[in-house]
Amino acid sequence: MNGNQPDRDAILTMARLAGLRLPAAYENELVDAYTHVRALVLRLPEPRARGDEPAHVFNPARFVAKDD
Amino acid sequence: MVDHLHHLTVADAAELIAARQLSPVELTDACLARIAEIDGALCSFVTVTAERAREEARRAEAEIAASGPRRPLHGIPYALKDIYGVAGVPTTAGSRLLANNMAIENAAAVTTLEKAGAILIGKNTTWEFAHGGPSWDALSPPARNPWNLSYSPSGSSSGSAAAVAAGLVPVSLGTDTGGSIRGPAAACGVAGLKPTYGRVSRRGIVPNCFSQDHAGPLAWTCRDLALVLGVIAGHDPHDPGSAAVEVSDYAAALTGSMRGLIIGVPWRWLEEEMPPDTVTRAAFDAALDVLRGLGAEFRDVALPPIIDFHATMKVIAASELFAIHGPDLRTRPDMFGASLRYRVIAGGLIRAEEYLRAQRSRTALARATQRMMAAVDLIVLPTADAAGPLEPVHPASTFTQPSYTSPFSVAGNPALSVCSGFDGAGLPLSLQIVGRLFDEATVLRVGDAFERATDWRSRRPEFQAQ
Repeated sequence: MNGNQPDRDAILTMARLAGLRLPAAYENELVDAYTHVRALVLRLPEPRARGDEPAHVFNPARFVAKDD
Repeated sequence: MVDHLHHLTVADAAELIAARQLSPVELTDACLARIAEIDGALCSFVTVTAERAREEARRAEAEIAASGPRRPLHGIPYALKDIYGVAGVPTTAGSRLLANNMAIENAAAVTTLEKAGAILIGKNTTWEFAHGGPSWDALSPPARNPWNLSYSPSGSSSGSAAAVAAGLVPVSLGTDTGGSIRGPAAACGVAGLKPTYGRVSRRGIVPNCFSQDHAGPLAWTCRDLALVLGVIAGHDPHDPGSAAVEVSDYAAALTGSMRGLIIGVPWRWLEEEMPPDTVTRAAFDAALDVLRGLGAEFRDVALPPIIDFHATMKVIAASELFAIHGPDLRTRPDMFGASLRYRVIAGGLIRAEEYLRAQRSRTALARATQRMMAAVDLIVLPTADAAGPLEPVHPASTFTQPSYTSPFSVAGNPALSVCSGFDGAGLPLSLQIVGRLFDEATVLRVGDAFERATDWRSRRPEFQAQ
């Protein structure tokens, strides 16, 4: 897909893969909304600092019993 | 005795109660009577807990008669945006999906207010799941703006702001994910505070976007916000986002002094990237003059582009909203109001890689914001332009129109909206005051000083029931 806007069929395929089998009445809504969301995704910068990686939110210390 | 009990601030009511010149029962009855009189037109409450409120008020009255008030909120009525859980009270989030939902336990903030002796008077109208609106196809009709019933109170804590402005209740708790406390506070001319992310527990509140949801109060004055925040702020080990940071005495911080404060203004946002309308700009310039007269000094601050905050906030929100609502969207999409469905549905198409990129971007933007905040004590800017008519809005606007509020949801800083005047149609204008992380005390100090230096708190909506 790269930076290109996917076409309607591609968007509906993506929706099906996400488990969304929408009534026809909502398909236009989805395609329109995704067009806007896609534009915002493309706007996101690409900072790659390892320390900023959100996967680091996993913290095993959280499972150790403490002040309940 | 005060002529209009329903217009008492929290601080004034608390003083009268402590002096035994006002009974919590009398004050509660005044609020309930005001709700009965005008809320049919205002639509700011979805549930009124009248019997419960009268019982709590009688208990508070007896306790205060015996040993005086425990805390400043003892005997003070309050309301909640209808996404706060209260055991045994409906919690609908304004959605047909939760039309019959009854919370089984209190939200953490509710328990704290109960312990302080505050009196729950009801639940306020919210945009659906604190996100989609205004909607006419969700569970309940949207709230209206008490300054002009044809106008919007903004969202999503619409009912909270409208109810406080109209004198139905002195304080209400709302939530703010991208501006949902500050926007309605601005539209309705009240004070609304989004505390620092993690300052107030979200446990027991129906989520909108876990990583950006903030809980906070709306009231008529900053002094009232300080009194309420002093009760509800604090670490909650059961909210993973809660911060273990010491809580200040916010009311004691309201000294009126601004000497030596350095205030930043993001002029590039206001003059190049997203200029406010001319009325808002004139009110902002006048507000700067007031702050300058109180002793503040100003400097330009260069924050990252406002569109970067907007894109980051929306991609995170859409992803997390879909994670919450995906199961219902897959099985019963017709139960969503059209506005919320549009805002959520495409979240399911955002890839994990893109969500993580948005989270990385959030960290970078927050870091840039804190670096800029290190050079100033506060940042000020408008909260929003004055309210527009209450009418259906195409939900695409949520993706296409950045706001002055969402950057500080992304960065997590405390941000306050106060009334800074009125436009030619009598609708409120607003000033946003943003502080360093966990420095709500300075934010409230400046908001309070601004309110005392202007006379905008002397005007109330001339509300006529229709």
